[in-house]
Amino acid sequence: PSPHPPSLTAMECRVLSIQSHVVRGYVGNKSASFPLQLLGFEVDSINSVQFSNHTGYSHWKGQVLTADELHVLYEGIKLNNVHHYDYVLTGYTRDTSFLEMVVDIVQELKRANPNLVYVCDPVLGDHGSMYVPQNLYPVYKNKVVPVADIITPNQFEAELLTGKNISTEKDAVEVMDLLHAMGPDTVVITSSDLPSRLGDRFLVSLGSQRHVRPDGSRTTQRVRLEVPKVDAVFVGTGDLFAAMLLAWTHHYPTDLKTACEKTFSVMHHVIQRTISYAHELAGPGRRPSPPQLELRMVQSKADIEDPAIVTEATVIS
Amino acid sequence: MECRVLSIQSHVVRGYVGNKSATFPLQVLGFEVDSINSVQFSNHTGYAHWKGQVLTAEELNVLYEGIKLNNVNHYDYILTGYSRDISFLETVVDIIKELKKANPSLVYVCDPVMGDQGAMYVPENLLPVYKNKVVPLADILTPNQFEAELLTGRKINTEEDAIEVMDLLHKMGPETVVLTSTDLPSKQGDQFLVALGSQKISKVSDGTNTDQKICMDIPKVDAVFVGTGDLFAAMMLAWTHHHPKDLKTACEKTVSVMHHVIKRTITYANEMAGPGKRPTPAQLELRMVQSKADIENPTIVVEAKVLQKSSQ
Repeated sequence: PSPHPPSLTAMECRVLSIQSHVVRGYVGNKSASFPLQLLGFEVDSINSVQFSNHTGYSHWKGQVLTADELHVLYEGIKLNNVHHYDYVLTGYTRDTSFLEMVVDIVQELKRANPNLVYVCDPVLGDHGSMYVPQNLYPVYKNKVVPVADIITPNQFEAELLTGKNISTEKDAVEVMDLLHAMGPDTVVITSSDLPSRLGDRFLVSLGSQRHVRPDGSRTTQRVRLEVPKVDAVFVGTGDLFAAMLLAWTHHYPTDLKTACEKTFSVMHHVIQRTISYAHELAGPGRRPSPPQLELRMVQSKADIEDPAIVTEATVIS
Repeated sequence: MECRVLSIQSHVVRGYVGNKSATFPLQVLGFEVDSINSVQFSNHTGYAHWKGQVLTAEELNVLYEGIKLNNVNHYDYILTGYSRDISFLETVVDIIKELKKANPSLVYVCDPVMGDQGAMYVPENLLPVYKNKVVPLADILTPNQFEAELLTGRKINTEEDAIEVMDLLHKMGPETVVLTSTDLPSKQGDQFLVALGSQKISKVSDGTNTDQKICMDIPKVDAVFVGTGDLFAAMMLAWTHHHPKDLKTACEKTVSVMHHVIKRTITYANEMAGPGKRPTPAQLELRMVQSKADIENPTIVVEAKVLQKSSQ
């Protein structure tokens, strides 16, 4: 089916995004909202925390929202009978009771709209270690992932959720199938340390999407992307990724190849622009600081609206 | 453009008021927007129900401290709007003073939200704080008629009154004053309201002061919108940034953006409500995301008239 170009479609699509807010910079809702709004989505946002900036800076200060306070906000929406969403989007959380409240809300919203798509970034850790409290793991595994429709784990998170290690592409395919069996029809392993065909300056990402054919039989489209590595630590890129995957799977619901190409391409443009600017600010031979490495989101408007494709996904069996 | 705005306003989960109303348009126009959310509510208080939490003055201070500790407390603009809490407002004043010390060129855009149509809708004890502490720091002020009268203690019955009130406001601090709406009679008839603006410009070359005063006839719309004042102040920030010595153009662009957003909103709201039914607050939420092109590049639909350009 031919996709609708975002600029020509009068889109009525409402997202509920429950993520962090930072006064300065681009993580959580700050990272997700603007790009989605640029693409025509109505974004309702519940801020799970309000911090001065992300926690990679030397200092950070702020306040967190409790599970009760989250519930109160949702109640307000519900009392006005406007609790109707097409998408829910969640990311980094540190609190099990908060996460459990999110699950309750998602379940209720799915009852209100059975077509609701829950896009979940199951943020647990990276490079072999967890960076959230360990007791979040069973909540994700047993409660969150089962209600998710699209998940964007990295390799570590995918391994953690399935209990299976990924050493080869075949392992990755098996892990994605295990994740499908847990709930989501769309799985993207956002990064892995599988060897890339293009050499060690690239990392490998994989995606898998299950469809039911009109005759009731099931098919799975699997894709693989070689993604250029960047020598810097970015914060908020995962949040941008999940938001853009939401947007591009919306426009290409049965074409994971294209949805991933667009999503990874947006990431590339934003990251390139960011790293150039950061180096300019830092000066020659100096490593940029966290403030300098904040995503150049506002400056990347054109790339977000209409990303030039810079990476081609390979369809794998 | 490298221009950073600190906006301290409300956040609503759903809809467009406060920071929700100001942020997207400013970002679309290329401004970096740092936002401190003074409250988080489910939606604005014009709905049948609303729920949420407020930020205390202490919590505001803590957030600012975080920014300061990282040495990133450098802003080109500050933007504030609706506030209900004196101690919060006073903390905002302290923050602005400190930010102005860090950057003496900082421009503080202030919507002194106190009330409308003859009645206050914030606690009365905010008036002295606005009058004595906030307005003196403001560089751009966007009061409505009621707020302008309240701040100056003078009634506006004629255009001359409006000009005098704007001059009084200049004396209190801000070089740019826009009376966003008045009930002065419009030459275009009763389907229009009159807005006025005044900007003091000092010529560096010869030290003279000149001021530009303008007036606009704006089509009235038969609906209650919420968040339009917040959008107005944000767009005044943007367009005075691009036209710093041309209040006429800045106001024409600002008012034109408002017009496009409002028209799109009322059309959609009436569609949603159905024939003969008054739209609900939920249906009347500004069509912000849909108005991106108008925000980026507003077609001018209102011409401002220059009233007087006098040198002193």
